[in-house]
Amino acid sequence: MNFFDNLAMGFGVALTPLNLFYAFVGVFLGTVIGVLPGIGPMTGIALLIPITFGLPPTSAIILMAGIYYGAMYGGSTTSILVNAPGESSSVVTCFDGFQMAKKGRAGPALAAAAIGSFIAGTFATLMLMLIGPWIAAFALNFGPPEYFALMFAGLTVVTSLAGRSLVKALLATTIGLAIATIGIDLQSGVPRYTFGNPEMLDGLEFLVVAIGLFAVSEVIVNLSDMRQAVQERLSIKGGLWLNAEDWRRAIPAFTRGTLSGFFVGGIAGAGAAVASFVSYGLEKKMSKYKDELGSGAIEGVAGPEAANNAAAGGAMIHLLCLGIPGSGTTAIMLGALLMLGLQPGPLLFQQNPQFVWGLIASMYVGNVMLLVLNLPLVGMWVKILDIPLYLLIVFIILFSFLGVYTMNNSVQDLWLMVVFGVIGYLLRRFDIPASPIILGMVLGDLMEQAMRQSLMISDGNLGIFVTRPISLTLLLIAVVSITNPYWKHIGRGLRKLLGAA
Amino acid sequence: MKKIALLVALIVIALAASACAGGSSYPSKPLEIVAPAGAGGGWDTLARTVQRSLETEKLYTQPTSVVNKVGGGGAVGLAYVFSKKADDYELVVYSPPLIINTLNKTFEQDYKQLTPLAKLITDYQVILVKADSPYKTLGDLIAALKKDPLSVKFAGASSPGSMDHLAIAKLAKKAGIDPNKLGYVAFNDVGSGLTALLGGNVGFMSTGVGEAIPQIEAKTVRALGVSSAERRGGVMKDVPTWKEAGVDVTYEVWRGIFGAPEMSGDAKKYWADTLKKMSASKTWKESLDKLQWVDAYADADAFSKFLAEEEKSYKELMTDTGFIK
Repeated sequence: MNFFDNLAMGFGVALTPLNLFYAFVGVFLGTVIGVLPGIGPMTGIALLIPITFGLPPTSAIILMAGIYYGAMYGGSTTSILVNAPGESSSVVTCFDGFQMAKKGRAGPALAAAAIGSFIAGTFATLMLMLIGPWIAAFALNFGPPEYFALMFAGLTVVTSLAGRSLVKALLATTIGLAIATIGIDLQSGVPRYTFGNPEMLDGLEFLVVAIGLFAVSEVIVNLSDMRQAVQERLSIKGGLWLNAEDWRRAIPAFTRGTLSGFFVGGIAGAGAAVASFVSYGLEKKMSKYKDELGSGAIEGVAGPEAANNAAAGGAMIHLLCLGIPGSGTTAIMLGALLMLGLQPGPLLFQQNPQFVWGLIASMYVGNVMLLVLNLPLVGMWVKILDIPLYLLIVFIILFSFLGVYTMNNSVQDLWLMVVFGVIGYLLRRFDIPASPIILGMVLGDLMEQAMRQSLMISDGNLGIFVTRPISLTLLLIAVVSITNPYWKHIGRGLRKLLGAA
Repeated sequence: MKKIALLVALIVIALAASACAGGSSYPSKPLEIVAPAGAGGGWDTLARTVQRSLETEKLYTQPTSVVNKVGGGGAVGLAYVFSKKADDYELVVYSPPLIINTLNKTFEQDYKQLTPLAKLITDYQVILVKADSPYKTLGDLIAALKKDPLSVKFAGASSPGSMDHLAIAKLAKKAGIDPNKLGYVAFNDVGSGLTALLGGNVGFMSTGVGEAIPQIEAKTVRALGVSSAERRGGVMKDVPTWKEAGVDVTYEVWRGIFGAPEMSGDAKKYWADTLKKMSASKTWKESLDKLQWVDAYADADAFSKFLAEEEKSYKELMTDTGFIK
């Protein structure tokens, strides 16, 4: 009863014209920020904070939350259209999204991304409302050993990114892990592989590498075959909307993406990028059409796009119920809330019910707004593809340079992007998949730090990873998922051996 | 003909305007404030608060902007400001890592060439334990650490040899514990450190008061001691200082503002006046309240002296802990 009263009160707050307006401004700005590569939700919110000074706290957070999940919606757009991810959590969407666009199915890809985001966003809000504090308490069980185990399990996703040769995929993963070691080492404070260059001290920015490997190398591939590029255009075939077959395939992917994204990003707090990779791996293992993944399967968009939104929603649970930010963006929101005189944390629900329930209600409203805003945009976005490929290349270059430069205002990042574009081109020539490099980069740093933190805590005893139940479970999942293709052979071999004996 | 007349008139006006401005010379150009880190962090927030106060209080009449030079714990920002030598329109904000990273040679430049303009605000370091921790007082914790420094691990949100670590090393040394033997676990950010603390993975945490207040207020953690010379107010009023707890040591996380190397005398004088006015202004004071920052204004001379003392203290501390070899 109390619960429904609260929710009713929340909608009372969220549906005032003023708050509706801020929710709309937030999701609109968020979508734009998501579409523009480079400017992420973190920068967007940070720059808006001075403006929020004058607003009532509830309106301010509605605006900021709108930007946050709006960016998760918009991030997929450039991934699908031009193979240049708008946010780190949308890198995975490139894999199948851009392939779908190449086949003339950009419309269904964009629609699936928007619908998946809507479903996952709504689910995460529902969880926040129903069992938020419980989830928050459970999340505290994830210490460094559990993180390590989670990242280790995440590495097994590489088998899903492998294409024809697992060895080549492992090679690429290793390159990614190696790149992840660049920069100041957190556990010792010592710079590694920076060559005395101050801009390298923070390591390589993961979007710079991703945009280089995917978008810039795409440009080089097209330029190397200019005659074809002049004639070709990625015009739209079939409808803009999901057909019955798409729905049938996308719904299980939405479900898996939402649940896995919520667990990985929301509960464990591993972030939206990791969540999207895990979801992709899950599709590759569980989808009925796993063989089509990588060549433009709708599952490859539906799953990860649901996962990154579920993760973003989950990060809000950490922020509101624990007062601990679960992502860079929520860290900035925490700072802003403090400035507004609110203390997120266990007391927030009691001290400021209007604020919390208003925010929850506005998240439902915002998700509906985003769906309404994004679906008609699909028609507009796909028009971009209806230009000859040689002109589209110009767009790709524009987006890539603009996006990478705005990230840190660094010219060096532009050079790095070009270098990785060339590397990406060479990798394609040698048929080495580029996506495991990104996987290695995303997981490598977190995994290494978590491992060394764990060993610091246990005084160097490796047992810490197998004596804690969650960590052990995750490690077992990793082992099972790596070995299961070989079980049949091992079983057969064993029987043969035993039979021979 | 008309056009040429107009052009001449415009040039005359422009010349006159610049001559007027030239009379009192500084400031005649837009100001750039460098935040040596990304948007949203402590340095960025300070740079933007200074900018806003200067603009709102009409203390700086030319346009102002904040530029983020991200990377290397401030290294990229420092290199940038050094490239603007003798440019009077280039300010930058920094805090203790400026000294720490110079001493451990992460920075290639010597920060002493910057022009210190004013110390603006300060924060203090606080020791947190989980609410159900067996350590009820700082004395309990120190006793346990004395018995075996590695028996209680602690979390912080920066690499070893940086503020969160060195604050505790300073305390430990004064308390007679070998600062080299502490079990410090470095986390990426305050959030993950807090998660490790609340999850019982580390025994205590070293962090800034500003970051700790929400958790202290929610009583999920207990603050055992704060590094200020006197007790703080508000939520922190029941938290003893380290000195009260029996270890006569303070630790200050200051933030100040600098000009580029070789700033002119005119500009220095201008900023001495202007920053003093700013730190007394309504906009500035209101922002400090909102951000829960502590006013610690000190003019350029006092700030320079303070920096020299800080450097001496860090040099000693970092030599003891092996971060200067």
